[in-house]
Amino acid sequence: MSSLTTKRVTSQAIRRIDNQPVYVLHTYPFKETSLVVELFSKDFGRVAAVAKGARRPRSAMRGMLQSFQTLSGAWSGKNELRTLHSLDWSAGLLLLQGEAMMCGFYLNELLLRLLPREDAHEDLFDYYTQTLQTLMTAKELANTLRKFELTMLQEMGYAVPLTHDENDLEIDPELTYCYEADYGAKLSGTSLGTHQNGVQLLGKTMVDMAQGDYRSARTQSQSKQLMRYLLAHYLGDKPLHTRQLLIDLQRF
Amino acid sequence: MKSPAALDQLIDALRCLPGVGPKSATRMAYHLLQRDRKGANGLAVALDTALQVIGHCTLCNNFSEQPICSLCTSEQRDATTLCVVEMPTDLMMLEQTRSYKGMYFVLMGRLSPLDGIGPKEIHLDRLIKRAQDGVVNEVILATNYTSEGEATAHYVSELIKVRGLKVSRIARGLPMGGEIEYVDSGTLAQALLERKNIT
Repeated sequence: MSSLTTKRVTSQAIRRIDNQPVYVLHTYPFKETSLVVELFSKDFGRVAAVAKGARRPRSAMRGMLQSFQTLSGAWSGKNELRTLHSLDWSAGLLLLQGEAMMCGFYLNELLLRLLPREDAHEDLFDYYTQTLQTLMTAKELANTLRKFELTMLQEMGYAVPLTHDENDLEIDPELTYCYEADYGAKLSGTSLGTHQNGVQLLGKTMVDMAQGDYRSARTQSQSKQLMRYLLAHYLGDKPLHTRQLLIDLQRF
Repeated sequence: MKSPAALDQLIDALRCLPGVGPKSATRMAYHLLQRDRKGANGLAVALDTALQVIGHCTLCNNFSEQPICSLCTSEQRDATTLCVVEMPTDLMMLEQTRSYKGMYFVLMGRLSPLDGIGPKEIHLDRLIKRAQDGVVNEVILATNYTSEGEATAHYVSELIKVRGLKVSRIARGLPMGGEIEYVDSGTLAQALLERKNIT
């Protein structure tokens, strides 16, 4: 805890940050020729910065402002909106294509929606990098997303207990449970009526998820339901654009 | 002091322009009323006419005064290729190359999941109908090489391919007269990855 506090204090005090590993999550047009860039940085978490003149035709930064690429950034300022000085190529090219790219957008949207600004999550940053690399292989996209969703919630401090139920008893893979956000699993059928919300699922699903084992088809579908429910709970009532887009695209 | 209601209304109306905030809008309004009333009148008339006359071409979706634009009705064009671009400016750039003689479809945007811009906003249904007119046999995707442009190209290509048409994507790599020493690493990395065999 104390290390986190010191980090936050120093991030406020230091004016200029150099050579910081970052990913571009999203950009918005700002004024006539500039962009606001939402960055996900290793040591400072989510940072918003203005890239001045980045929409000019010959801007050096223009080609660099691409999502899913490992970049190294330099910025300064102490207001919420920093000034971005440079972005440089730092690692090899990460090529996301087609559906994998849509998954990448989904990750970015989750981070933009759930991650508070200026909150350092080094492990989550590394896990994001790892997830993008897995997505690049374009295999098991859904399972990769499930693992990221779970890791993200846990890294951000939301408790998602998967090994023990509400009464601290070990989860039995054979039994059916009802999972409720902020409370955890409860044996299904006991004292019905107290939990109106939640997802019904088999104990095995939770055990599998805790071990990162998504081979079973039932685990895949039940974990999807559980994560969708949990994310909806933490995101509030505004739905995710990426998911809506995929639904819309399926109509064609 | 309270300014006249019509002035407030004008300032408010000017703020619909991109990059124009309350300050610039006020400056513009004062300039138009004080220094350039003739210009203001011209602007009002031009805006009014444009709004009434200009719509979208039913074939290429570009801005047009007629239901079908002059480019789409031209006999000189090759109706078997259809080039998909994001914006009218992209179409203009391609026309300037003078090396493409086919038809166009302007999406008027790109799929942008994080901004909530989906298939409806970029008229994918109309593009699919246009591509299936029986004459078009190749669809060239000339969307931007940004992540959004790439996502758009991917989904359009999937939708076109299942309908039995040939799909191609414009190439990327070193610019004309490009020197490797000065080119950015991203472009160079792409150029290496997408190198082609010399036959």
